[in-house]
Amino acid sequence: MRTHWRLFKNFSRPVSTAEGLAMDDTLARSVAHNQSPPILHLYTFMPSVNVGKYQDIETALKLDRCRARGIEYSRRSTGGGTVIMGPDIVALGLGINVDYPGLKKGVGGVFESLSLVLIRALKKLGIHAYFQPKNDLEVAGKKIAGLSAASEEGRSLLFHTSLLVDFDVALMTDIMNTPLIKLHDKGYNCFSQRMTTLREELGRNISIKEVMEAVEDAFEYEFNIHLKEDAPDEWERKTVHRLIDERYINPEWIFSHKHPRARMGVGQLKSKGGLLEIYLSLSGASIENVLITGDFFSTSEDVHRIENALKWTSSRKENIEKNLSSIWREDMIYGLDVPTLTHAILRAKENQIRL
Amino acid sequence: MAEIRGYNMPDELYYHKDHAWARVEGTRVTVGMHDMFQKESGDIVFVDLPEEEEDVEQGEICGKIQSRKWIGKLVAPVSGEIVEINEELEEDSSLINQDCYGKGWILVIEASNLDEDLDSLFHGESVVGFVERELEVVEAEKAKAKE
Repeated sequence: MRTHWRLFKNFSRPVSTAEGLAMDDTLARSVAHNQSPPILHLYTFMPSVNVGKYQDIETALKLDRCRARGIEYSRRSTGGGTVIMGPDIVALGLGINVDYPGLKKGVGGVFESLSLVLIRALKKLGIHAYFQPKNDLEVAGKKIAGLSAASEEGRSLLFHTSLLVDFDVALMTDIMNTPLIKLHDKGYNCFSQRMTTLREELGRNISIKEVMEAVEDAFEYEFNIHLKEDAPDEWERKTVHRLIDERYINPEWIFSHKHPRARMGVGQLKSKGGLLEIYLSLSGASIENVLITGDFFSTSEDVHRIENALKWTSSRKENIEKNLSSIWREDMIYGLDVPTLTHAILRAKENQIRL
Repeated sequence: MAEIRGYNMPDELYYHKDHAWARVEGTRVTVGMHDMFQKESGDIVFVDLPEEEEDVEQGEICGKIQSRKWIGKLVAPVSGEIVEINEELEEDSSLINQDCYGKGWILVIEASNLDEDLDSLFHGESVVGFVERELEVVEAEKAKAKE
């Protein structure tokens, strides 16, 4: 008989940020302290945005625009950057023991294991996605899901991801502070080139329910388990309420100042390959995000691959060169080499300003 | 200096199973994350440091370490009072990657139960077994993935 996992599923109504995030935190806690088997939570949020545990929310978001548009904002307990959520984005929370059989070990291993599940789910729906190390799922060079995880209580782990069924790029550019906002109309195009959605890939109005079912099937296959639909028990309900109070409606949590200094910079460099324009977001001394634009020749897939290799890495010259070299192929950007691209990125770093 | 399966694990240090190292000088214990941890984690992008003067118990989570999107825990290898933290990490947490036993130290604990605590840490020859076991798990999973 196959082992069973619990499934908390909600596709009938989008939940508030506080409710969704508190429930997800509870998953890992219940596995660690409440003797629960792994729990998969599939749901959607009300229109909202959340930032990573160690992000500066006031720098990452235009809070006045969020308020004006009725977009909830909060801080999640997992790492990474800003994530837009809403009724057309499937949110996935998984609480699992880090030593669970079949879950690969180590930081990279866990991401890889869970990405295999999502790749299978997307394949079932007719989309060929692949893992873009270290945190994204892509379709032909465009991001369709972002993965994030936090090591939680004891040996238990919370894994978060979101699958973009549909996505409002205009909303994103309106409420997020990103260096690309400075590009105005060009910014819209740049985001569109880097992201895709299930509906765009499939060319049909796929329902949230169908996407969730594909995810469930993929979990059952990859882990050889049976998902049993369930509801939170009393211990879990109490934990959710406590976490809502302690964290998700608590300004001290939402506006936490435990984060690296956030800065942004733009750098331009004329090179043999063309004009390079680099938009850099820095989190302390690390690169949170980099966007490479200009009039050079390359594919969006290659540009995205380069950008991904630098996300959440050190901004020191030697590290940029090392990370670029690890994925570089000749003429990835026609006429450009690693030292020149590094030079352009460092120029954006030199021009860094606090928002 | 000891190199075990490509990881630098200095002989003179003590190691907690959750990847912290401890350098003992009298009752002052300097703490950081070891080479295997920093290589496995990749670039460290933020360290959530505790406050000075906080008391910690051996095995207690006293900080968090973010690498890319993963948030790992810093576990106190010994009990005592945190008397110093490395403020340079607030500016550049990649010091842990560059020099995990030097400039990448994280905090100092004034130990309160040192002899007993040290008995439960890996030291000397037992470090080889600890590293081997950790790697065996990772390699077994990699092999399984190739099947």
